[in-house]
Amino acid sequence: MIHLQGVSKRYLSGLFALRDVSLFMPKGEFVFLIGPTGAGKSTLLRLLYRADTPTEGHITVGGQDIGRLPARQIPGLRRSMGVVFQDCKLLPRKTAYENVAFALQVIATPPHEIRPRALRALELVGLVDRADAFPWQLSGGEQQRVSIARALVNEPPLLLADEPTGNLDPRTSWEIIQLLSRINLRGTTLLVATHNKTIVDILRKRVVELAGGMVVRDEDYGLYASHG
Amino acid sequence: MGEPLRRPRPAVAALGAALRYAAAESLAAFRRNGLMSAAAVTIIMVTLLLVGGAAALSVNLRHMASILDKQVEVVAYLRDGLTPPERDRITAEVQALAGVRGVEFIGREQALARLQAALGERIALRDVIQTNPLPDSLEVAVVDPREARRIAARVAEIAGVEDVTFGAQVLDHLLTATALLRGGGAATAALLVAVALIIIMSTVRLTILGRRQEIEIMQLVGAGVWYVRSPFMLEGALQGLLATVLAALVLVPGYLLLLWRARVLLPFLPVVQAPDLLPGLVGILAAGGVLVGMTGSLLALRRFLYI
Repeated sequence: MIHLQGVSKRYLSGLFALRDVSLFMPKGEFVFLIGPTGAGKSTLLRLLYRADTPTEGHITVGGQDIGRLPARQIPGLRRSMGVVFQDCKLLPRKTAYENVAFALQVIATPPHEIRPRALRALELVGLVDRADAFPWQLSGGEQQRVSIARALVNEPPLLLADEPTGNLDPRTSWEIIQLLSRINLRGTTLLVATHNKTIVDILRKRVVELAGGMVVRDEDYGLYASHG
Repeated sequence: MGEPLRRPRPAVAALGAALRYAAAESLAAFRRNGLMSAAAVTIIMVTLLLVGGAAALSVNLRHMASILDKQVEVVAYLRDGLTPPERDRITAEVQALAGVRGVEFIGREQALARLQAALGERIALRDVIQTNPLPDSLEVAVVDPREARRIAARVAEIAGVEDVTFGAQVLDHLLTATALLRGGGAATAALLVAVALIIIMSTVRLTILGRRQEIEIMQLVGAGVWYVRSPFMLEGALQGLLATVLAALVLVPGYLLLLWRARVLLPFLPVVQAPDLLPGLVGILAAGGVLVGMTGSLLALRRFLYI
């Protein structure tokens, strides 16, 4: 699903955000991307949804080389993945339902398909009864679930999450991660950047650790801290 | 991924929804950036007024010039009492000059008849004058009206030619005026178009900034490039169109008024009638206004979307 080969990202200042990163993620996998702030987690995700281009190396997503993807093909790539952020990025003047439906509207979905698909996505995250609430009427966890519903409404095979539990208390974080696990069980490939130690240690998924822009650890059934 | 992802889409319904979205958003933007939009519309309107006015004037001058063009000839008045062979010699000499298209001999009787025809029925020349005061003359048609002056000078040198006139002086002035108008109009219009572009870029940029979050999400979930752009393009186009309507509201009555004044004051002035000029002119201005509006939007968008 995702394949990075010798990927480096250097900013104009000369600073390396990523240095020679190689990573392979098969379809359906659940991977935690961990590391301290500034290790390059967000940069890696940005390269994957083509908000940035690598300075060196090759990136393929779903078999498509996206390293030098021309701008007009970006929309197609983005439709094949969902992205979730720490700050949810919900539109404040739209209800939960409208926020989810918005993602369908803007990719030219036939109008009669929008409502059933948006409601199905809200159902998946357990928020159908809150469909008409505005973001400010929702708790942090509920907001994040709306943003997950929005990311999934187009039923993409890949979901990227950048610190999805960053703003949430432990209990709510746990709910969100359980939701993401369920989504992974339905077949969606999942890459979650986090520094939530508890969650990583409980789930024991594959862990890829970045430090200073380099992959310093990549192990299956990993813990947040390395063994040695 | 349980069920199949996408059913075949009724593309028309989706396109309709996209167009409705673009129209609603661009109108909302118009309301939100009222003052900047008004500034953009005003500056485009002034540009179009200037271009339209200059174009109307230029078309009229050209029309006059083309009519004068056909009338431009060098007329050589011949000395009295020339013999037919002498006349033929002079005619042949004139004909031989470079740039001369044709020479026609007008006898004095014929000239008098023409004058009578021009005066009409009201005055009978024969009642007023007993003898014919008009000389024989040669009417010389020239290939290029701008050479009339040179040819007139050459004709004047021929023995037996008493006097020469040519009608090109007026034409000279007309052509100079047209050229000046075109040059000055184009320069001013270019300047105003540049200003208009900058103002439109600013208004559209304001709209973009105001909706940055929305646009970010649209791009994140994979909205098409043109879907994201269309409301802004439409906003610019609407500004151009509104400016055209306002400019037309000034230009059309203005031209009609001028035509009416001209008919009263200078009935012989050859003017281009309204139906021949205005529909085409307004159409061209509308196209220009919309083009300027959309170009401004595109320029503003370039920096913001899908970098």
